[in-house]
Amino acid sequence: MAERHTDLIVASAPHVCAPANTASIMRDVLIALIPALAVSVYVFGIRALILAVSCVIFCVFFEWLVRKIMKRDNTIGDLSAAVTGLILAFNLPVGLPIWMAAVGCLIAIVVVKQLFGGLGQNFANPAIVGRIALFIGFASPMATWVINSKMSPAIMAVAEVDAVTGATPLGLLAAGQQVPSNLEMFLGLISGSMGEISAAALILGGIYLIVRKVISPAIPVSFLATVAVLSLVFGLDPIFQLCAGGVMLGAIFMATDYVTSPITTSGRIIFGIGCGLFTMLIRVYASYPEGVSFAILLMNILTPHIDRLTRHKAFKPAPEGGAAK
Amino acid sequence: MGLTKRLSGVHVDHRKNTAGMPIIPMPVPEKVYIPMSMHIGAPCKPLVKAGDTVKVGQLIGDTDARIGAPIHSSVSGTVEAVIQGMTQLGKTDTSIVIKTDGKQELADTVVPPEINSFEDFIKAARDSGVVGLGGASFPMGAKLNIKPGTVDYLVINGAECEPYITVDHAVMLTYTRDIVDGIKAIMKWLQIPNTIIGIEGNKPDAIKAFNDVLAGDASIKVHELRQIYPQGAERVIIYECTGRKVSYGMLPLNAGCIVANVSSVLKLQHYLKTGLPLVSKYITVDGNIVVHPQNVEVPVGTMISDVIEFCGGLKEEPKKIVLGGPMMGRAIPRDDLAVMKANSAILCFNGAFAGQRKETACISCGRCVAACPMGLMPAKISRAFRDKDVEMLKEYEVLYCMDCGSCAYVCPARKPLNFEFRQAKAMVMEASKK
Amino acid sequence: MKKTKLQILTNGIIRENPVLVLVLGTCPTLAISTQAINGLGMGVSVLVVLTCSNIMISALKRIIPDTVRIPCYIVVIASFVTMVQLALKAYLPSLDKALGVYIPLIVVNCIILGRAEAFAGKNSVIDSALDGIGMGIGYTLTATVMACIRELLGSGTIFGHAVTAGTITPFTIMVMAPGGFFIFGCLIALVNKLTKGKVKEKQQNKCLGCPGAALCSHVQEGGAEE
Repeated sequence: MAERHTDLIVASAPHVCAPANTASIMRDVLIALIPALAVSVYVFGIRALILAVSCVIFCVFFEWLVRKIMKRDNTIGDLSAAVTGLILAFNLPVGLPIWMAAVGCLIAIVVVKQLFGGLGQNFANPAIVGRIALFIGFASPMATWVINSKMSPAIMAVAEVDAVTGATPLGLLAAGQQVPSNLEMFLGLISGSMGEISAAALILGGIYLIVRKVISPAIPVSFLATVAVLSLVFGLDPIFQLCAGGVMLGAIFMATDYVTSPITTSGRIIFGIGCGLFTMLIRVYASYPEGVSFAILLMNILTPHIDRLTRHKAFKPAPEGGAAK
Repeated sequence: MGLTKRLSGVHVDHRKNTAGMPIIPMPVPEKVYIPMSMHIGAPCKPLVKAGDTVKVGQLIGDTDARIGAPIHSSVSGTVEAVIQGMTQLGKTDTSIVIKTDGKQELADTVVPPEINSFEDFIKAARDSGVVGLGGASFPMGAKLNIKPGTVDYLVINGAECEPYITVDHAVMLTYTRDIVDGIKAIMKWLQIPNTIIGIEGNKPDAIKAFNDVLAGDASIKVHELRQIYPQGAERVIIYECTGRKVSYGMLPLNAGCIVANVSSVLKLQHYLKTGLPLVSKYITVDGNIVVHPQNVEVPVGTMISDVIEFCGGLKEEPKKIVLGGPMMGRAIPRDDLAVMKANSAILCFNGAFAGQRKETACISCGRCVAACPMGLMPAKISRAFRDKDVEMLKEYEVLYCMDCGSCAYVCPARKPLNFEFRQAKAMVMEASKK
Repeated sequence: MKKTKLQILTNGIIRENPVLVLVLGTCPTLAISTQAINGLGMGVSVLVVLTCSNIMISALKRIIPDTVRIPCYIVVIASFVTMVQLALKAYLPSLDKALGVYIPLIVVNCIILGRAEAFAGKNSVIDSALDGIGMGIGYTLTATVMACIRELLGSGTIFGHAVTAGTITPFTIMVMAPGGFFIFGCLIALVNKLTKGKVKEKQQNKCLGCPGAALCSHVQEGGAEE
C-alpha cells in the first residue's frame, strides 16, 4: 500500500501563474531607465547620479515611514517607490538642491500615493505631481539648468550671454534663438531635466519594456504620433518637438504608469492622443514652454472616465437573430 | 463581427513532459473504490451488495434519472463493502469497495450492442457509461439525446490546452481510426452534416494522423487551433471552429452544436464495437516530483496513491495534488481517494511549487483585461466584488465568466481573481432571486 | 442637554469649529489665508459681523415672519458688513485692499447665515451673542493659523517678519490654491484626531453626525435609523 498523504494544500485553480509579478515589473522599469541615467551621468557628471540615488532613497524611506506610521504592511519590497523616486529625479534639473528633491519625494509618496491608499489607489502619477509641485513651488531653482562643454554649441552660446535659465531647447525656441541640431537633440547633448535629455536612451528603455511586455505600445505610440502630427499642423519641426523636453520620458515612462492610465487598449490610445494634444496646446499657446507633465496629469484625472467609455462587452451572440447566426 | 475578432487567452508554459509517451495499462490494484456519483446529474444506486462476485463491465450502479450514467465494475472480484466516504469532489458519497481477484474476467453482458434506430443508439450511449471526459462529466447519453437533424456541427475537442496533460494527444495518435468511426456513428444517428475536429497547432502529428485517416472525407474537417489557453473551453472551441457564439445561459445546442471530447468519442466507439463500457481511464501522471511521469490506463476506482506508486512514487513529500490540469483542475486534500471517470491527469507538486502566493494590491496593469477570452474586465469585477456591489458586478457581466483562470494566471499581484468571481456570481444569483 | 453659557462660548473653538468641523465658509478662508495679517483681519471682521448679526437676529426673531426670514437675515448681515467695510476703508486701507472682494462677500458667508439660521433664530440674545463670539474666535483662530503656516512655508515670513526667508527658498506653492487645500486638509485631520472621542460619538447617531446637522430641517434626534 502506498504512503498516504492527508495534509495536502487545497487551493483554488489556477495552480500555476505567469512569472511576472509586481516587483519584477518594477525591476524591469528600473532596468529600462538605466540607459537614460547613464547618458545623464555622462552629460551632467556625477551630480546626476547623486540626485537620482537620493531621490530613490528618500522615496523608499518615506514609503517605509508612512506605512509604519499607518500600521500597514510594508510595501517597499515591490520597488514601486524606487521607480517613483528615479522617475521623479529624471524630471528635476541636475543642480536642484537635494532638500528640494526630498520635498518632491515627500509630496509624491506621502501625499499623492499613500494618503490615497498606497499602490494602485492613487489617482495621479506620484512622480508627476511631485514634479509639478516643485515646479510651481520652487519656480526659479526648477528652471535653472546646468550647462557644460559637452553640450550643443547652440546651448553654450546662450550660456555666455544670458543667465542659465531658459537654456533648454524649448526655451531657446520660445525666445526665438538658435536651437541645437536634431542629432544633438536625439543623442541628448543638451540641457534640461536630468533624465529627459536623451531621446535615444529613453527609446532604448522603451523598447526593452515593450519586448518584456511590461508596457503595451498603445500609449507611447499614440502620444508620440499625436505630438508629431500636431507639430506638422502648427508648422513646427516634428523631430525637434519629439526630442525636446519631456515628451519621450513622459510618453514612455510616465504616461504608461499602470495605475493612472486606462486599462483597455482603446482607452490607452485615447489617453495617448489626449496627452499629445494637451502637450502641444500648452507648448504652442500657453505661457510655459513645456507641458508634458501637465498634459499627463490632466489625462490621469480623466482615466476613470476613459475606462468607463471603453468598457469591454462580454463575448455573447448578438441580441436579436438568436444563436443560429 | 464574424470571425474577424479572435478570442484572447494566455500563453501558458506547456510543460508537456509526457508528450509522445505511449499509454501504459496499469495492473489492477488490490482494491478499487467505485463512487456512485461520477457525473453531473443524479447519483447512481448500488446494484450489488457485500459478498457478491462481480466481473469487468458488470453493471453495479444505475439511476432512473434522465441525466445520469450507469456505473460498471472496472475489475473482477468480490464486493467487500458498500461504504459512505469522502470522494474527490469533497462530498460524502456511496462507494462500492471491490477486492480484486486479478483475473479481469469479462462479464457476460459485454457484447456489442445491436443498433437499428436512433433510440437504440441513445440507449447504447447511455449504457456505455461514458460521460464528458474533458472534465465536465456530463452524461453522454443525455448529451446526444436530441431531435435528430437539429444540429449542424459536431465539434470534437482535441485541444488539450492545459499544461502537463498529454493523454488526449496520445489517444488521438493511438486510436485515430476508432475516433473517426465514433464520429461517423454519432453523425449517422443524429443526422449531423458536419464535424470539425479542433486540435491545437502544437500537435501536428495528431492533425496529420486525422487527415490521413479521413483522406478527403468532406464532412469531417480538422481545424488547427492556436496554441493559446483556453482553446479547449467549450465556448471558445465552438467559436474558433464554427464562428458561432455560445455564452452564459446557453447550451451549445442553442447554437446548433454538440461538443465532445476525443476520449469520450473513443470510449463510446469502444462500447459500440466491443460492448465494453467505460471502466478504465487514460490519465497523465506528472508534476515536478513524480519519478516516472507517464500516461497510464487506470481502472476506474483505483486509489490515486496507487496510481502514483505505479509511476515510481514521488521524489519528495507532496504538498499539492491536482486532478486535471493546473489551470482548472482541483487540488485534493488527500491522496487516498478514488480515480473517477472524468479525471484526465494527476499532478503532484512539492512545497516550493505549491507555496501560497502572497496577494498584493491591484496595479491596474490591464493584463487580465487583455487575457480574458470572454472579453470581461476582471480588474473592475474584482473591485466591485471587494465593494460587494452587485449592481456593478452585473454591469461588468460577471456571469459571463467561465472560470478559465486566465486572469488569475497573468495577474502580477497574484490575486485569486476567478475564485473571487465564483463567489461574485453566487452573489449576483442570490440577489436576482430576491 | 441644555448647554451652559461657557459651553456655548467654547463650542465654536474646536468642537464645532465652523471651518474645520462644520466645513462652512471654506472659499474665503482658503482665498485669504495666504498671509497671517489677512487671516487675522478677515477673522476679526467675521467675528464682529457674526456677533452683531447674531444679537440682532435673536432680538428680532419674534418679529421676523418665518417665510421671509432668509431675506431678513441677509439685510441684517449686510448692514453690519457694510459698517465693517467702511471702518476698514477708513482705518486700515491696506488690509481692505488685501481682503478685497471677500469683505463684501461676508454677506453670503455660510458661517454667518448658518449660525443665524441654526442658532440665533432659536435662542436668547445672550446665548446668541456668546455663540457669535465663540464661532468668531474659532474662525479667527483657524484662518490665522492656516495663514501663518502658509505664509511661513510659502514666503518664509510670519506677519510680514522674515523667519526663514533668505536662508531657505520658500515653497511658493503653499500660498497658492493647492497649498491652501493641502493645509486645510491637514488641519481637518488634526482636529479629527483631537476630537476623536466626540466625533465617534457623533457618528453613532447617523443624522446628527453630519456636519450640517444643525442646519438641516430634516434632522432627527438620536439618529435616523440604527
